[in-house]
Amino acid sequence: MAESSGTTLMDLISADPTPVPAQASASSTASQPSPGAASAASHLHHPMPTTTKTTLGERKSKRATLMQIQNDTLSVARAALHPVKANIMPQRQRQKKKPVSYTQLARSIHELAATLDQKSSQKQLVNHVFPKLAVYNSVDPSLAPSLLMLNQQCEDRNVLRYVYYYLARILSDTGMSPGGGIPTPNWDALADIDAGGGVTRADVVPRIVNQLTSEASNSELEFHARRLQALKALTYSPSGNSELLSKLYEIVFGLLDKVADVPHKRKKGVFGTKGGDKESIIRSNLQYAAMSALRRLPLDPGNPLFLHRAAQGVSFADPVAVRHSLEILSELATRDPYTVAMTLEKLASPAGALQDILHLHDVLARVALARLCHSISRARALDERPDIRSQFNSILYQLLLDPSERVCYEAILCILGKHDNTERMDDRATGWYRLTREILKLPEAPSKDKSNKAKRPQPLIKLVMRRLESSFRSFSRPVLHAAARVVQEMGKSRAAAFAMGLQDIDEAVHVNSFADALDDAETNDSSHPEGIRRTSSISAGPGRSETIASLLASLMEVVRTTVACECVYVRAMVIKALIWMQSPHESLDELKSIIASELSDPGWPAALVNDVLLTLHARFKATPDMAVILLEIARIFATKVPGKIDADVLQLLWKTCLVGAGPDGKHTALEAVTIVLDLPPPQPGSMSGMTSIDRVSASDPKSALALQKLVQAAVWFLGENANYAASEYAWESATPPGTALMMLDADKMVAAASSRNPTLAGALTRLQRCAFSGSWEVRIVAVQALTTIAIRSGEPFRLQIYEFLYTLAEGGVQSQLSEMHLSNGEDQGVSGTGLGVLITPMLKVLDEMYVGQDELIKDIRHHDNANKEWKDEELKKLYETHERLLDFVSMFCYIPRAKYLPLGPISAKLIDTYRTKHNITASSGSTDPTVVATGISDLIYESTQPAPAASNSSGLDDDLVNAWAANLGDDGLLGNNAPAMSRVNEFIAGVGTDAPDVEEENVFSRPSVGYDDMWAKTLLETNEMEEDDARSGSSSPDSAGSVESSISSHFGGMNYPSLFSSKPSSQATAKSSGSKYQSTYEGYGSPIREEPPPPYSYSEPPQSRESFENPVAGSGSRNYESDDEEPRKSTGTRFGTALYDFTAGGDDELNLTAEEELEIEYEVDGWFYVKKKRPGRDGKMAGLVPVLYVNQS
Amino acid sequence: MILAVLFANSVGNVLIERFNGVPAEERLHWRSFLVKLGAENLKGVKNEELLVACHKSVYIVYTMLGDVSIFLVGKDEYDELALAEAIFIITAAVKDICGKPPTERVFLDKYGRICLCLDEIVWNGLLENTDKDRIKRLIRLKPPSEF
Repeated sequence: MAESSGTTLMDLISADPTPVPAQASASSTASQPSPGAASAASHLHHPMPTTTKTTLGERKSKRATLMQIQNDTLSVARAALHPVKANIMPQRQRQKKKPVSYTQLARSIHELAATLDQKSSQKQLVNHVFPKLAVYNSVDPSLAPSLLMLNQQCEDRNVLRYVYYYLARILSDTGMSPGGGIPTPNWDALADIDAGGGVTRADVVPRIVNQLTSEASNSELEFHARRLQALKALTYSPSGNSELLSKLYEIVFGLLDKVADVPHKRKKGVFGTKGGDKESIIRSNLQYAAMSALRRLPLDPGNPLFLHRAAQGVSFADPVAVRHSLEILSELATRDPYTVAMTLEKLASPAGALQDILHLHDVLARVALARLCHSISRARALDERPDIRSQFNSILYQLLLDPSERVCYEAILCILGKHDNTERMDDRATGWYRLTREILKLPEAPSKDKSNKAKRPQPLIKLVMRRLESSFRSFSRPVLHAAARVVQEMGKSRAAAFAMGLQDIDEAVHVNSFADALDDAETNDSSHPEGIRRTSSISAGPGRSETIASLLASLMEVVRTTVACECVYVRAMVIKALIWMQSPHESLDELKSIIASELSDPGWPAALVNDVLLTLHARFKATPDMAVILLEIARIFATKVPGKIDADVLQLLWKTCLVGAGPDGKHTALEAVTIVLDLPPPQPGSMSGMTSIDRVSASDPKSALALQKLVQAAVWFLGENANYAASEYAWESATPPGTALMMLDADKMVAAASSRNPTLAGALTRLQRCAFSGSWEVRIVAVQALTTIAIRSGEPFRLQIYEFLYTLAEGGVQSQLSEMHLSNGEDQGVSGTGLGVLITPMLKVLDEMYVGQDELIKDIRHHDNANKEWKDEELKKLYETHERLLDFVSMFCYIPRAKYLPLGPISAKLIDTYRTKHNITASSGSTDPTVVATGISDLIYESTQPAPAASNSSGLDDDLVNAWAANLGDDGLLGNNAPAMSRVNEFIAGVGTDAPDVEEENVFSRPSVGYDDMWAKTLLETNEMEEDDARSGSSSPDSAGSVESSISSHFGGMNYPSLFSSKPSSQATAKSSGSKYQSTYEGYGSPIREEPPPPYSYSEPPQSRESFENPVAGSGSRNYESDDEEPRKSTGTRFGTALYDFTAGGDDELNLTAEEELEIEYEVDGWFYVKKKRPGRDGKMAGLVPVLYVNQS
Repeated sequence: MILAVLFANSVGNVLIERFNGVPAEERLHWRSFLVKLGAENLKGVKNEELLVACHKSVYIVYTMLGDVSIFLVGKDEYDELALAEAIFIITAAVKDICGKPPTERVFLDKYGRICLCLDEIVWNGLLENTDKDRIKRLIRLKPPSEF
């Protein structure tokens, strides 16, 4: 930076112009600030010329104000440049250059405008003042009078061009730094002290508009260039101003009235303007100006005049005007294809103007033409007019031959049915059908002497494949990227076609044979124009032997080689294309090895990796058959780049695949998920790189941490979904509890369990192992997962888990299993496993359930023996126990209250009797009836959404209940209500322009934080704190005895963001660390809609399983958090200074320079998350630094 | 929509930026994202060699011209190829004004004219003029086609 002297924006404005005479004299009278002033900003102080009108005192105070403003400006300017690293000040100090301040520039303009008659003034303006003013991001309104004066009086074209430029900027200004660059000082403050007196934007805008309007309406021939610029400047005004808008429409239509209707004689085949007469050229220029302005105005779909004028534009001579008119038309056509088609009917005919556009030298015009043709040729409204549709279709197909890739690809995408983001599956499927079946036959070629070859009808698929193959040989990265994207879209359409089961998608058929076969059937079909009429006259050639499959295979071969491209974005797009083109029947090995080797490249940004994961998800949605294949691919991500993937996305993928895998695939799907658990734990000591697919690549502490989170997520997932996958539910279990009690022999029990349900037994074994051998966090989640399964499963699983937990709590098992126990250096705690505190309440709930069951059996026997009827009090007591246990159980995991029987199946009859007697509906009885009365559906769907089954909650379909219980019923296959799904859908639809997340600190200052960022943030911030909390909670002797605090640590420890929606954690954080984070999450346009959690009540099921979808999720955890008495490490902000220089080793880390002052946000695992006072050389404000590098003050 | 046009120098200072339809709070992110992208990928890249990136459905095409890196961000019809067209026009215009691939000094010397050029090429987020001569005429306040 320092070396490139004189080359910064600040230097640009400091470059010394020959001072304007007036200014020079003024500045000579004023005193210079001390050159040796330490503050860099002092160099920017400029003495102000004094005005004779003011008194000395006033002058002084005004000068002080002005200096203050200048100071402010400069510091803002520095701040603006800083994020991107600008170390200008020291350098400038050295150069002793004085920048021209904004005020000085403004003053120069006023003065030069007054002395416009001098040639030097104009020169000064064009060469120095205006270019420098361009550096500032906005132009303050007080300049407007001078600019308008210049506009009226100046003759110099260069000056005038700048004047229009600045007037447009004043008009467009909304005060929100639209132009970038150095911020302009506060206008209002300037206005106060400006010699011109308080000029505000509101004052000048009408004046500017008036002047520009009158210029735009000036019909003098000599004036027409200025007319163009005036009209252009006017279009910059914000569109909110309806008065101005109607004025603009008036001008534009007025202009078009004059220039558009004149019969236009175009020279045949010549689009240039050379050789035209003056009048027609001027007309063409005005046509251009009017059409460009019209393009910037809001569409007016219902207005026939608007459409008429836009359609006239197609025949204009100016290519840019033609482009704008086509763009307008293509936008109108998406809304009202019929009217547009009727208007353009003549133009689309073989000799019409639209055909000419095929040869127009303007790429975007042809792109707009493709879109227009697509909209019209697919319009249902035009079913009555197949002739029109086919004309447009013919043009669209001809665009496939366009020399520009941009146009050709647009045509391919249109044919494939990818038009905008609202495409439907059947459009896609027909798109694929069309691409593989239809034939392009050029209309009679313009020049007859061309070889016959060019005119031979070609199957579209061959054209497209050939084009794409040649594109993949290109060296241009944009071309490669775009080609891969087109292949991806092809894959999407193909998948849709398969999913829809379109007739004969047999890809082994020879491409040309369709034409032959269909020929007879189609010849009478008037819907096909000459252009694409299928014909049997295709000569037999080499193409004869080509099948779609072979064409695709050779294309995919080229696509695969593109993985060698050095650009990671191109590679990502290629992988996405491969994922989409992967068919369920082909071997997966090649794709797997490509992905595995790709992911070993550290150059992949996390956002891109997650994008590919989302692609997998989208692929799954299109082809549910591929669930297992896709899970296998997802596994590679989990093992290769655990630090980069979003566990949230991965879980979503797991879950969708689990549901989609169907009854047969459930077991396999669950196995695929649990593979993550079988991975060896990351060894903190060993940093050696591991390259095998099955080994974990967690070579740095960060990815080790991420892997651990992933394992946690997998364990949690297992706990939540094992019952669903195994179709084992306590409330459906036929085994009476007594049976299990008789099988107390552990071996027998395990044998019985695994023979009964291998899936669940397998899951249990894995979880049990995790409860021993995982890291502390994993063990906690594993125990929770086991409890969940225990509560939800029938016997013998419940008893098996009970026994396991009991042993675990006692700690006795450890000695027996010590060889299994991979110590990771943690203190295992007094109870051996360290889980005793946590397990106690879990055992308690199971204990109570068993005790209750025992008593019930006793009571039943008692009644049976005595042959007594059950009395109402007895039933009431039973019912109360039932409800109490339900409440208790609900604290641990979600269960369908209406069906769940904590006292075992035999209690069902008695409870029913009591309910009938007392008129209690099965689902009520909770202290919070709103939650349960509407059924489970309400918990899963957004509460504003009327749940499909809410009305008949008493008669819920069993499968549905179970799916809901496993929180799976809301998958995208059933509906798209879930917020997490919206992210996937959004991704699939390809919307969203959320700014990319680059740097940590940005998230804090960014109200419209994207979901990704927000998630990442929760992961980084709250999560770590909560884990700290969990750790301290249970290792602290104070909390050991209290159930509340152990629950709090229990949920706190589990409260990683993949499990709960982000809101609770953010709230918890906000609570503990003031309002700092709260602002981060408020007012954003996040795709997740979250409602404030309702006040917690214990009777409400803690919806730990509603992690993704349920907006009220985690209300329980929130409350647990607030119950928590443990002081947090991160409560207060601490300060410190850097002891040494530190070089960041990763994206999350922060470079430090010794002595730098820091704000310590929190500590995690030997790292501080710190914020700097100002951005460092790399532009980063915040990140992780080793604790030892910081001296805490 | 061309969401952003951004010029930066070799060390990542933003020289010119024009955002269209990007909320103010997202601009900072784009700015740093682009500069980071450039810092990571533009070393040793030949003049006018096009690089590509994408973020969600937004495309980025960027290149190096002399000491200056140029970034274009677009979406919808402005995909990587359309942006490549646009960046080609912009680089041609800049080269035309500066006479050669500019050093930073030269670029800043011609700053005002480059701004005017850009104003003619990208107008309210849409590509406008693509013809070099036409742009040249327009920034001198001459009509787009002369007689």
